[in-house]
Amino acid sequence: MTDTSFVLPLLLALPVLGAILVMLVPREEHGLHRGIGLVTALATFGVALFALALFDGEEAGFQLVFDLEWIAALGVHFKVGVDGISIWLVMLTAFLLPIVLLAAHRSVSHRVRDFVAIMLVLQTAMIGAFVALDLFLFYVFWEVMLVPMYLLIGVWGGKRRVYASIKFVIYTVVGSMLMLAAIFYVYVQHGLTTGEYTTDLVQLRELVLPYGAQVWCFAVFALAFAIKVPLFPLHTWLPDAHVEAPTAGSVILAGVLLKLGIYGLLRFAMPLFPLGAAEAAPFIAILAVAGIIYGALVAFVQEDIKKLVAYSSVSHLGFCSLGLFTLTVQGVSGSIFAMLSHGLTTSGLFLAIGVLYERRHTRRLSEFGGLWKQMPIFAALFLIVTLGSAGVPGLSGFVGEFLTVFGTFIAGETFPAGWDSYLPAPKLLAAFAATGVILGAVYLLYMFQKTMFGPLDNERNKSLPDVSRREITVFAPLIAMIFVMGIAPRPFLQTAEPSVDRFLTMYESKLTQPEAVTPYAVEFDEQGNAHRREQPAAPGDAAAERDGAGDAEARAERTQR
Amino acid sequence: MIELTREDFLYQIPLLILAVSGVMLILLEAFTEGNRRDFLMSLSVAGCVGALLSSIVLFRSIGDESIELFGGMLVADRLAYVLTGLFAGATALSAMLTADHQRTHRWEVGELYGLMLIATAGASLLSMAGSLVTIFLGVEMMSIAIYDFMAARRGSRPGTEAAMKYFLMGAFSSGFLAYGIALLYGATGTFDISSIAAFAAENPSDPLLVVGALVLVVALAFKVGAVPFHMWAPDTYEGAPTPLSGFLASVAKAAGFIAAVRIFAEAFGGDVMPFGRLGWASVFAALAAITMTVGNLAALRQERIKRMLAYSSIAHAGTILVGLVAVGVGAGDGAMAAVVYYLIAYSLTTIGAFGVVSWIGSRDKERLRIDDWSGLAVSHPLAALVMTVFLLSLGGIPPLAGFFGKFYVFSQAVSAYDQQLLWLVVIAVLNSILSLFYYLRVVMAMYFREPEGAFTPMRSPATVIALGLCAFFVVKMGVLPGGWMSIAGG
Repeated sequence: MTDTSFVLPLLLALPVLGAILVMLVPREEHGLHRGIGLVTALATFGVALFALALFDGEEAGFQLVFDLEWIAALGVHFKVGVDGISIWLVMLTAFLLPIVLLAAHRSVSHRVRDFVAIMLVLQTAMIGAFVALDLFLFYVFWEVMLVPMYLLIGVWGGKRRVYASIKFVIYTVVGSMLMLAAIFYVYVQHGLTTGEYTTDLVQLRELVLPYGAQVWCFAVFALAFAIKVPLFPLHTWLPDAHVEAPTAGSVILAGVLLKLGIYGLLRFAMPLFPLGAAEAAPFIAILAVAGIIYGALVAFVQEDIKKLVAYSSVSHLGFCSLGLFTLTVQGVSGSIFAMLSHGLTTSGLFLAIGVLYERRHTRRLSEFGGLWKQMPIFAALFLIVTLGSAGVPGLSGFVGEFLTVFGTFIAGETFPAGWDSYLPAPKLLAAFAATGVILGAVYLLYMFQKTMFGPLDNERNKSLPDVSRREITVFAPLIAMIFVMGIAPRPFLQTAEPSVDRFLTMYESKLTQPEAVTPYAVEFDEQGNAHRREQPAAPGDAAAERDGAGDAEARAERTQR
Repeated sequence: MIELTREDFLYQIPLLILAVSGVMLILLEAFTEGNRRDFLMSLSVAGCVGALLSSIVLFRSIGDESIELFGGMLVADRLAYVLTGLFAGATALSAMLTADHQRTHRWEVGELYGLMLIATAGASLLSMAGSLVTIFLGVEMMSIAIYDFMAARRGSRPGTEAAMKYFLMGAFSSGFLAYGIALLYGATGTFDISSIAAFAAENPSDPLLVVGALVLVVALAFKVGAVPFHMWAPDTYEGAPTPLSGFLASVAKAAGFIAAVRIFAEAFGGDVMPFGRLGWASVFAALAAITMTVGNLAALRQERIKRMLAYSSIAHAGTILVGLVAVGVGAGDGAMAAVVYYLIAYSLTTIGAFGVVSWIGSRDKERLRIDDWSGLAVSHPLAALVMTVFLLSLGGIPPLAGFFGKFYVFSQAVSAYDQQLLWLVVIAVLNSILSLFYYLRVVMAMYFREPEGAFTPMRSPATVIALGLCAFFVVKMGVLPGGWMSIAGG
């Protein structure tokens, strides 16, 4: 597989190269900026397709691995690879970006160059976070995402953009910096117990930390990811960010960034700290169900369409978190599928809102009504994405929601660890989650009815043009994929299945492994003074490794002189 | 009588270059006529580059050895040359920026460049110190030169006030330094740091030794601007000519830290630690926690960019202290390397940040309030981008030098001493979150707002080259930190 290892680095490099190219073009050449951006995004998608073609769906482990020593002294590698789970998320990211750039043709008209460059950098960061197999590398990509998104909301956002962008940063940074502290801890623990300092995820996964440490570390990691998801009650930044962000920002935020929260839990938090995850699983599941219902209820009373869709994301992502923490094959696969589907349908919804907003410069539900007559093509497109989001069978939303609810229903039977002691009735949770499906249909159809049906009584709506050819081009691939995923979900699930199986078996086996014991390095004498004992070398401490005991002698020698 | 050998001079060539060219420049200034600012600046940069190159050569040739010069008064080792190289480089960058500041704001003081080199020579002397006497000499040589050139902008009232404050506080801390050295001499009967280390290993709780060490902590905390000895820093940084604030925040601060390393890590390091379980590191741990928190909280409230950067530099002093704590509890060469790496990363970033402040200010409008920076990204995208790089690096966002510096220091601190410093790292991490807000406020002003009035930054090659170099290294040290880690000693 070594000959294909260039694919992922290429995937990461392309958007950045495009961004640099865009920055070199003079500021006024908006058409050229957009053109370069679109070509780069399409090329990136082409490379992603190539990666998918090379990907072996039967295999459970990481593929297309590219491993380059980055910071030798700390054991940090530039290691990237994909498995059956991340390959789809990479595909989703690469798929959405050209669509977003095309859609932003009219809505972003000032500082186009910066916009295109920022979107491309963001793409590299997002793909990077999905393919990183090194904790350090992952953290770098994770943090790099912050700045472009901050600028995206802050520069091209709505009236309260400064407030929304700062809120976004506060929430994200609090989570991620604390996660950094936990990363240090894991890194050092691994170094002290095995003598090898590394941030390689595959190696760190082997380490079984003491119970207490696992609980703490999981809590910190889960906080960082749960904020991103966002898990109820940490979701309050999301509506603000969505409402103030430009359409492109909303699509990227809902389509990809939120998934990183779930993905982080799946890839990092749960495999590294399974005991902590087992402890937390019932609580997270309850919060997820609370989020499903709360998000749906709040969405229902929104007057602003964008806020409505933002809260629907809270509800939908609740399904994803619930499925993940059922720790059943069905639940986890459903969670992954629901992520992909949500990425498509919610992006479609935000794009549709963008279409309306560009024409009317308002997002209030009461301003619209009866648009079906005025914009029939748009209405049809909008209907499909709405139904897809609502989980109508035959469209993509249904499969994911069904699987997660089903996974929850059987969770108590197939996977007792963690569930039994706290929660006698996963079935009850499944029942509550299922009401979320119904509520989802209620608020989404309510939204559709309010905007599209009824009399066309608002004067200003009577002259609205229907969607242009460019806008149809934007919607067409999304809608095609919504149908494909709804009618033929098998290829997606099948590719992910070996990786999901592997995730679950590894998780299960680690629950029963003995905890690692860290050798203590300092001892105290009777006066309470500390003495250093022979200890494993600190990271980057090459010199100490070399001479070890010679150190003290050298000092004594120097003293005598 | 100490016998001088050829080696004694050979190994201190960088120091000699700095000192001699500093004196030469001051003399030369008296004999050059009229406005010869650029000429003097180029000469001072040449002197610094000479010192930098010779440090590099000596750094490569000396290997892992530690050579005592002048009977132990000076120690030549890799650490000394890394720091000397940093001081020389940072001074060259500051000098380049200062020339343009002088041109913009029309203040002509040619002695400045000579004095800068002498201050740098003092700082290098500290990095090579093997004896408390050398420490005192180095601190005084550096400080007195700085007192002089801080007051160089004669017409400026805040500048004079800044210099006066720095002088008074500096004199005060010199008193502490002398007193601490005297106490240690009283306890041990020697100025030699390695002999003090030997004495401390046998009598770890000798009262005079303990008091002397504590007094030295106070003296050095003044120099590096650690809370609660930081009061001079905001006023001084704000009042001083901007590039010189950068010099103060980088060279002078790093010199204070290297003195602390020479005294504490070497004299009181060792296997038995005085003052109980954490040794001297317990004092530093408390200082670090307070310094970071107070610095960041105060920076949050600042409306003026130089004051904000001043408090930010106080906060960064706290972070470096975390690294020193790790050194103090015996984390070994790794922790030492992390501190050095952080010093390099931080110095380059800070000089760059003050440099941009100096660059975009014009004669009629210095743009020292954060609100004055509105819309810089629209009118001067490159200046805004470079400033953003520096600010994000200070805030610890990957993949920039500041992030990796923090990562390196924190990971060393966590691994030290059975993870018992985890609490300190958690405080440091929480502080990083805080710090991001005030850095992002400037980013917000530059990017989110529309410009009010035209910016007229100077188009001068010296400033552009200096800022370009800073930005280049800040990015490079973040993306490819490996080589720099080995330079730092990791």
